Amino acid sequence: MGRDVDAGSTPAEGTGVVAAPATNGDGAAPLLVVEQLQAGYGRKQVVFDVDLHVHAGEILGVLGHNGSGKSTTIRAILGINRPFGGRIVFDGRDVTNAGARQNVRAGMAMIPSERFVFADMTVTDNLLLGAANDPDGDRRARRLELVHELFPILRDRAGQLAGTMSGGQQRMVSLGMALMASPRLLMLDEPSLGLAPAVVQQIFAAVRELADREGLAVLLLEQNVGQALRIVDRCIVMRSGRVILEETRDQMAARESYWDLF
Amino acid sequence: MTVWISYLDQILLYAALALSLNLLLGYAGQVSVAHAAFGAIGGYTMAYTTQAHGWNFLLGTALGMVIAFVIGTIVALPALKLTVEYLILLTLGVSSVILGLVVAIPSLGGTYGLINLPAVDLFGWHLRSPTDWLIPSGVAMVLVYAVCHRIGESPAGRVLKGIREDPVATGALGKNVFAYKVAVFGLTSALAAFAGALIAGWLRLATPGVFGFSFSLTVFAIVIFGGMANLTGTVVGAAIVVLLEPILERVIDLEPAKAGYVELIVYGLALAVLMRLRPQGALPEGFSVWGLLRGRRQSTGRIEMVADWVPTTVQRVVEHDPAHEEPTLEEEQRREHAWHDAPVVLQTKGVSKRFGGIIAADELDIELRRGTITALVGPNGAGKTTVFNLLTGAVAPDAGSILLHGEELVGLQPHQIARRGMVRSFQDVRLFNRLSCLQNVMLAVQGQPGEHAGKLFLSPRAVDRAEQETRERALAWLRFVGMGEFAAVPAGALSYGQTKLVSLARVLATEADVLLLDEPASGIDTKWVDTMLDLIEQVRDQGRTVCVVEHNLHVVGRLADHTYFMELGRITAQGTIAELTSSPRLAEVYFGT
Amino acid sequence: MLALTFETFRQLTVDGFFRGCSYGLLGVGFALILGVTGRFHFAYGFTYTLASYLGFTFAFRVNWPFWLSAALGVLLAAVLGALIEAGVYRPLARNAGATALLAVFVAALGIGIAGENLIRLLWGANTQAFYGPRKVGYELWDAIFINFDVWQAASSIAIAVLLAAMLRYTGLGRQIKATRINPDLARTIGIDADRIYVIVFFLGTICAGVASFWYALKYTVDPGMGTLPVTYAFVVAFLGGTTSSPIRVFVTGIVVALIEQYASIWLSVRYTQTAVFVVLVGYLTYLAITQSAWYVRVRTRTAAGV
Repeated sequence: MGRDVDAGSTPAEGTGVVAAPATNGDGAAPLLVVEQLQAGYGRKQVVFDVDLHVHAGEILGVLGHNGSGKSTTIRAILGINRPFGGRIVFDGRDVTNAGARQNVRAGMAMIPSERFVFADMTVTDNLLLGAANDPDGDRRARRLELVHELFPILRDRAGQLAGTMSGGQQRMVSLGMALMASPRLLMLDEPSLGLAPAVVQQIFAAVRELADREGLAVLLLEQNVGQALRIVDRCIVMRSGRVILEETRDQMAARESYWDLF
Repeated sequence: MTVWISYLDQILLYAALALSLNLLLGYAGQVSVAHAAFGAIGGYTMAYTTQAHGWNFLLGTALGMVIAFVIGTIVALPALKLTVEYLILLTLGVSSVILGLVVAIPSLGGTYGLINLPAVDLFGWHLRSPTDWLIPSGVAMVLVYAVCHRIGESPAGRVLKGIREDPVATGALGKNVFAYKVAVFGLTSALAAFAGALIAGWLRLATPGVFGFSFSLTVFAIVIFGGMANLTGTVVGAAIVVLLEPILERVIDLEPAKAGYVELIVYGLALAVLMRLRPQGALPEGFSVWGLLRGRRQSTGRIEMVADWVPTTVQRVVEHDPAHEEPTLEEEQRREHAWHDAPVVLQTKGVSKRFGGIIAADELDIELRRGTITALVGPNGAGKTTVFNLLTGAVAPDAGSILLHGEELVGLQPHQIARRGMVRSFQDVRLFNRLSCLQNVMLAVQGQPGEHAGKLFLSPRAVDRAEQETRERALAWLRFVGMGEFAAVPAGALSYGQTKLVSLARVLATEADVLLLDEPASGIDTKWVDTMLDLIEQVRDQGRTVCVVEHNLHVVGRLADHTYFMELGRITAQGTIAELTSSPRLAEVYFGT
Repeated sequence: MLALTFETFRQLTVDGFFRGCSYGLLGVGFALILGVTGRFHFAYGFTYTLASYLGFTFAFRVNWPFWLSAALGVLLAAVLGALIEAGVYRPLARNAGATALLAVFVAALGIGIAGENLIRLLWGANTQAFYGPRKVGYELWDAIFINFDVWQAASSIAIAVLLAAMLRYTGLGRQIKATRINPDLARTIGIDADRIYVIVFFLGTICAGVASFWYALKYTVDPGMGTLPVTYAFVVAFLGGTTSSPIRVFVTGIVVALIEQYASIWLSVRYTQTAVFVVLVGYLTYLAITQSAWYVRVRTRTAAGV
């Protein structure tokens, strides 16, 4: 089921009544619900009336062109930028005005699109920083082991400075960093940027596996529709700060062309 | 009674010194902690030449001003490229060097300095008592005030304020930022030397203590107290700083030494508190006695959010304009043909640029034609922003040529290219936040005589007339974009959509032939997008050449007469949007597989 | 030109080394603060001075044990440093937005001026002798120095090494480095930048306090004693690099002091201090000329951050 809009019409007509977020197959409520989010930077509002939800174990693709408001939306969800309005509910709790620290503790993690590692620090230091808020040493060690299994190269290059690694390897470091804190919601901002298709597939496959195995909920922001469609369950499309479309993966994949959406 | 006249002298002389710092710091935004050191140059030169060589006071002062001017200009050279942090450090170093030399050179009296200077002799009139000094210090202060005011409140001063707010944007509007910086450093250093010589003459001594670093801080504090770019405030600030001590002595009955400390404690704390409450200073910018006398309304100092407001052009567009819909295929073809028929205005041939291992631009051949809108699209990292940087001279190409009206642009500075008729807008807008919308647009008008110091002082009436004309033209452009009512509002108080409109007015006001618009419709809500597109189309219809970088293909579809598709620095396709979007290969490049 | 004997050279070197340890420690503390928080903490000099005055007061007015008083003075000054960040700089930076750097600088200036004169008011403007343990002279390779010098150098080196080790090996150190390198990402992964800033101010001020104490012990205390050290702290931090390891900054301090000492071979002592600043100005000019970027930027926070 999707909330469909005539592709190509002005977005202002597209946002209709918000259907109550669907339950997933098990009947459980979504892990994250965002209602009528208004967000931006300083006094500049770039996100208008955004609704979205995602269940545990589900990957929601957030597609849209540069400047469509995708990054601003997840930054507002994480709490780096304070929302101007709307509501964000995470795991049943209202976290609209919670800060990043609180949300990370509660189980959110985000990987930005640029400068997503600490370049002058080693791979291991980067990973350990991901668990900075975790006092449990044993759990940290177990997570580190998990990350090393997922991306063996991080174990091989543990002492290398993150900034000297290739783009794809840096992405793995950043993903590992995010996973160290045992997150329940992972938000990825254009992870495929600048990477070869094979590397992108490897990383996306890892994300899919985590969603299936651990019940990780994922918001995947992408311009690369083709790659995103390999692993998402549903997707929404944003343009000029608004959500103009929501479809299942199959519906999106069946489209002939995406030019109208961007 | 004499003691109060002595304080008055002190106020006038301190103000004379601080006023020139305000021009440097408040108007031009150059943070210098070396101002008293330049005063020292003036004071010591005057003291040495009059005492050791019997020079005339005015001659000695003039020499001091010349030396200070030269040193100030030299200091400005590295200062051009340094950000605030480094500039503070640089002026700290310069101040220490000057004072260190002054202490070290034996003939300048070492740590004791030059004392027992002869009373200043102005053509036979010996200035001995505080009363004698009253008129000369008053005249000196008024003189410095007049010079600073004339420059600060003129078109040249407007450019200085632009440099203060955003030097890159100022350069992009055709102003030679380098020349302005050097000039303002040199001039204010000379003015500081002038005040310094007077202070030394009044004290009848020139010592490291008098002109030491703590005096630099005092002068700095005076400017901060009085308000940046607020000359009247500086005079008030000087009064506060000088009078605080005697008031403390008499009113609270503190002994003189203690009163001195309490004074400094008070105004040290006041600085900190002031920064917390009003970072821009006690009095609002632009407040001046002159302005009051002329009856001009003062712009509000506090920046308040302007209410949510939709431009009137939108309503017009929505009501009347059928072109609100997508252009048909025939329409697109027609526009493409018109594009091919239009004369070429800007042409790049084989332009290439590498940054390290990354190819940002690869053999670019781009044509921009008169009276048309050309668009650049492509996935992230395709190099679209680099193209604008190459065209405007912000980045120099490794190879290739860029011809505007047949004239080679490669090798020119951004401000020179802007003057030749190609300007750009910025994706992050870059308005001058503390200037009003009108001033933002006025800055963009080319060929203002008031930007040249010579004309400013020698032909004041011509400058004032030209200023009036500039104001009218700027206002017309503001009205064109629908922001006429906001002329007096500081740009920082506008909503994002409003700033984009003012930014468009600003590039239009340059009357450049070629406009490069960087993501003009990004980050704004739908109703604003329509306004913006309508305006850009009108601009095109007026015969200008427009190039647009956009990610929103919807916008590109509506605007573009011709589109270039870029991939990893190369142009791999061009034509109408319909042609580009019907290519499966391009779809794969843009959206992935 | 000073008659250069090998003896003189050794003395200059030894003097330079000890002074350099002091400059180095000052630079390490200041570099940490400036590098991580981006605050132009001009009030560093005030906390420097206060540490010695408090120590002096506890030892000679309240008559507590000497070393305890000294330590207490340093600690209280460090707490004040942290309070200045939490109570003044932080709210100010939030409020001032784009002009935050200048506003913080001016506020720091104000606190520095007010603080120095508060000390004058409360303790008097004169220099005071700060007596402590007995001075013992040593001679090594014909160069003369005293026990205070040795203790100063040892403690300075120890602090610098400890800081470097903390940054390299501990969790807190990792968080501090992360905040310095990429503050936005640090906040994204849940690091409490506010807390880190306060900690950094505390640690940086400890450095100032310790340097101040040794100076006071060897010479005197006076209200203006903080101005010159702040300037040296600036210079050393800048030349050593605000994002460099403390060890590197410390060594830079020694190099600067040695340059100053050796300069006295050619220049009369009057000019040697100036020589240091000439080096600073020269280096800044060199940077400005060689940078191809339109603007040279110290690795500090942008206004979008705290």
